[in-house]
Amino acid sequence: MICFISGGAKNGKSTLAQNLAAALSRGGKRYYIATMIPVDEEDRERIRRHIADREGMEFETIECGKNILSCLDQADREGTFLLDSATALLMNELFPVERSYALDPGAAERCKRELVEFARSVRNAVIVSDYIYDGAEEYDAMTEQYRRGLAGIDRALAAVSDVVAEVAAGQVILHKGVLPG
Amino acid sequence: MILIIGGAYQGKLTYAMEVLGISREQVCDCQREPVDFSKRCIWHMEQACLACVEKGVEPKDYFQAHRAQWQDSVLICRDIFGGVVPVDATCREWRQATARLCQYLAGEATQVSRIFCGLEQRLK
Repeated sequence: MICFISGGAKNGKSTLAQNLAAALSRGGKRYYIATMIPVDEEDRERIRRHIADREGMEFETIECGKNILSCLDQADREGTFLLDSATALLMNELFPVERSYALDPGAAERCKRELVEFARSVRNAVIVSDYIYDGAEEYDAMTEQYRRGLAGIDRALAAVSDVVAEVAAGQVILHKGVLPG
Repeated sequence: MILIIGGAYQGKLTYAMEVLGISREQVCDCQREPVDFSKRCIWHMEQACLACVEKGVEPKDYFQAHRAQWQDSVLICRDIFGGVVPVDATCREWRQATARLCQYLAGEATQVSRIFCGLEQRLK
């Protein structure tokens, strides 16, 4: 079963995602795909908080900030994968650190293709994204490219997912399917 | 009239075309042209609101004055209502005036749909 979760920042997406992954795995392998490539202390602090949240949940952590399909080399596809988040993954792909964050124009399409293939390759996955589409602010062209790219990923993943849920203030708005558990 | 709202890039026009049967020729894109109520679908309605605000016209009054012309239309508006209150005064007024228009139109609509990641959420 593939679950896709989105919503605003700090609204409870990761907590829901962890609970869904635990419910889906039913004793099978649990993988946490760590997508963030930390660049500063703020990132490292966020990672520490997320690790503390997962304590005792028996997730095996796989570091995979890019090329999401490569994480399958070191994992059992029959397991349950928690991917948090598509947002960080696209950021790493679109503005690669090894190219001094210069925009890779093909990244969004490639990332979308790979994520859909990932979702089709594993038994269970919970994929988290961020809803960044409802402000009135004018963004620069690069940020718009990022927003458009992430929205394309979200829509493609929502289409192939069994469950699509939005989280607001810790509450779940179900857009597709039925929550496992 | 059917009102479709949702954030940027969520698939609002795609929904109008694939589910409601709107063709590209029936679409007035307010990002490129003035609002044309003879077209069955008004897309980027928030841009028509911006044009009103810049002229000092309340978008809700403008739409109300043309009420007879959009009774069978599909109106598409981007949700620009979240986030921090804009610093720019025109942007602030645009955001509020668009929201007032959406509330009015939602009251008039036979169907209100929010599009989230390409999926329709029926609000009315």
